[in-house]
Amino acid sequence: MSTDPTWRRDACAIAGIGTTAFSKDSGVSVTALAVEAAAAALEDAGLTPADVDGVVRNDMDLVSCAALADGLGVPHLTYWGEAGPGGSGPAAMVAQAVAAIMSGQATTVVVFRSLNGRSGRRFGLSPVVTPEVGGDETFEEFFGPYGLLSSGQYFALMAQRYITETGLTSEQLAQIALVTRKRANANPAAQMYERTMTLDDYFDSRMLSSPLRLFDYCLETDGAAAVVVTTAERAKDLRQAPALIRSVAMSTCRHPQPGLMYPTLMREDITALPSRECQDTLYSRAGLGPADVDVAQIYDCYSITALIQLEDYGFCKRGDTGDFLAEGQIDLGGAIPINTSGGHMSEGYIHGMNHVVEGVRQIRGTSTSQVEGAQVSLVTSAPPPAASALILVAA
Amino acid sequence: MSAAAAASAATTAQLRPLVTERGSAGFFSAAAEGRIEILTCEACGRRIHLPRPRCVYCASTEVSWQPAPHTGTVYSHTVVEHQVHPLFPVPYTVIVVDLDGEQAGVRLIGNLPGRADITAGTRVHCTFEDLGKDAAGNPVVLPVWEIDTDRENTGSGEE
Ligand SMILES: [Zn+2]
Repeated sequence: MSTDPTWRRDACAIAGIGTTAFSKDSGVSVTALAVEAAAAALEDAGLTPADVDGVVRNDMDLVSCAALADGLGVPHLTYWGEAGPGGSGPAAMVAQAVAAIMSGQATTVVVFRSLNGRSGRRFGLSPVVTPEVGGDETFEEFFGPYGLLSSGQYFALMAQRYITETGLTSEQLAQIALVTRKRANANPAAQMYERTMTLDDYFDSRMLSSPLRLFDYCLETDGAAAVVVTTAERAKDLRQAPALIRSVAMSTCRHPQPGLMYPTLMREDITALPSRECQDTLYSRAGLGPADVDVAQIYDCYSITALIQLEDYGFCKRGDTGDFLAEGQIDLGGAIPINTSGGHMSEGYIHGMNHVVEGVRQIRGTSTSQVEGAQVSLVTSAPPPAASALILVAA
Repeated sequence: MSAAAAASAATTAQLRPLVTERGSAGFFSAAAEGRIEILTCEACGRRIHLPRPRCVYCASTEVSWQPAPHTGTVYSHTVVEHQVHPLFPVPYTVIVVDLDGEQAGVRLIGNLPGRADITAGTRVHCTFEDLGKDAAGNPVVLPVWEIDTDRENTGSGEE
């Protein structure tokens, strides 16, 4: 495998992690959630707000870097940044923290995502209520007038095309929902901790936009998650064993298309995601391949999103994926255990940031569904507009 | 469409495309005259859809709106069962249409009533729905797609 000599492996580490409770109604502001998660991450690392000099946010967050720093009691920032779009952001947000630290602009960076995704601004509902749709170079004038108005409908079109091309069955697709639900049933912090699911339950769930059912969708969630990034040198003297950042990568694809989501239906192949390009950079920077990865947190806004990334990150070949799922290869003990906290579909939808936190837990050996001896932990942040990913390793 | 149908369409509450967006206005002015046109590069001949300021393939600035066929096949579809918008009662079917003879990615969206009986490869053709005029008097005409019952399907759409 080719390796990228310009990337500096293991120069930085995630030294602290923090989350709020995940709920349907937090009862507090998104700033309060962000501050709670960030404070927990600092406490976990054994650091104080005075140690923080950088903040990176998600481009869809409603909390500014200044508001987070102020709420946390950080006296002075030398760096702030943001990455996205949306769920493509979290690994790229960590990458931005690394860039800030390695260029000398900051030493200790809080990376966070906070949302009242259920009680506040909900992604699953169409925001379009005016009779005229489109404009501002969203290109939604080509989509909205036909009733293509939610991300679930978009991913349903992707899933239907994938089924047409590969013959994937509903029973095979269901495995993603079933396996991640089992992981949530082991995780007391997961929203679906006490809700078991059978294949019958899956098929009994409402079809929302064919071929995707309710349980193919992520959970709308109130909550926040944060991590603290610093140099590997500094991290080794802190409270927790560091999760070294072996590799980060970001990518679009050829002709990524304008707008936020629907315009990507004009790509030559709508089942090809930017994660396909992202993995080349990620693995070459890491000097590792998919066979070296022990556990993966795969961005799962919908089951189909996770399925396609399993192929893109090299865990199975297109056409074999249905059988791969049916054989239990994404379960504990399988070829690549995924979404061990329950992920977006059963833990909570913190827009990819809870995946970063769980990726660190696996390196520390503290997951509620721990992969024994996990040394290499992959986290992906996803498409459609762009992708990012990171690989964490034990020190 | 008949004058009566046009009048009725114009008073029906529905989402209408913004036809004056500078990048895509050319598409909707062609639709107002009953044509589908796609932005085309005069240097390399490729179609640029959705429209961008210059050719995304060769960076030429010489681009113009050129006619496209009014027939196509279903590339993907979804039956929407969960309502997310008051103006779109469920069920309805959204289709993504590959225009006949075009390069991959030159696609338009359609809406079929109910749970349409289609698969990838189902043949469809375009008509135009007159939605009246916007506040500034610009014609608002939406290309819409119907299942083509006269011609045979091309099959499953597998490639
Ligand atoms: Zn060109």
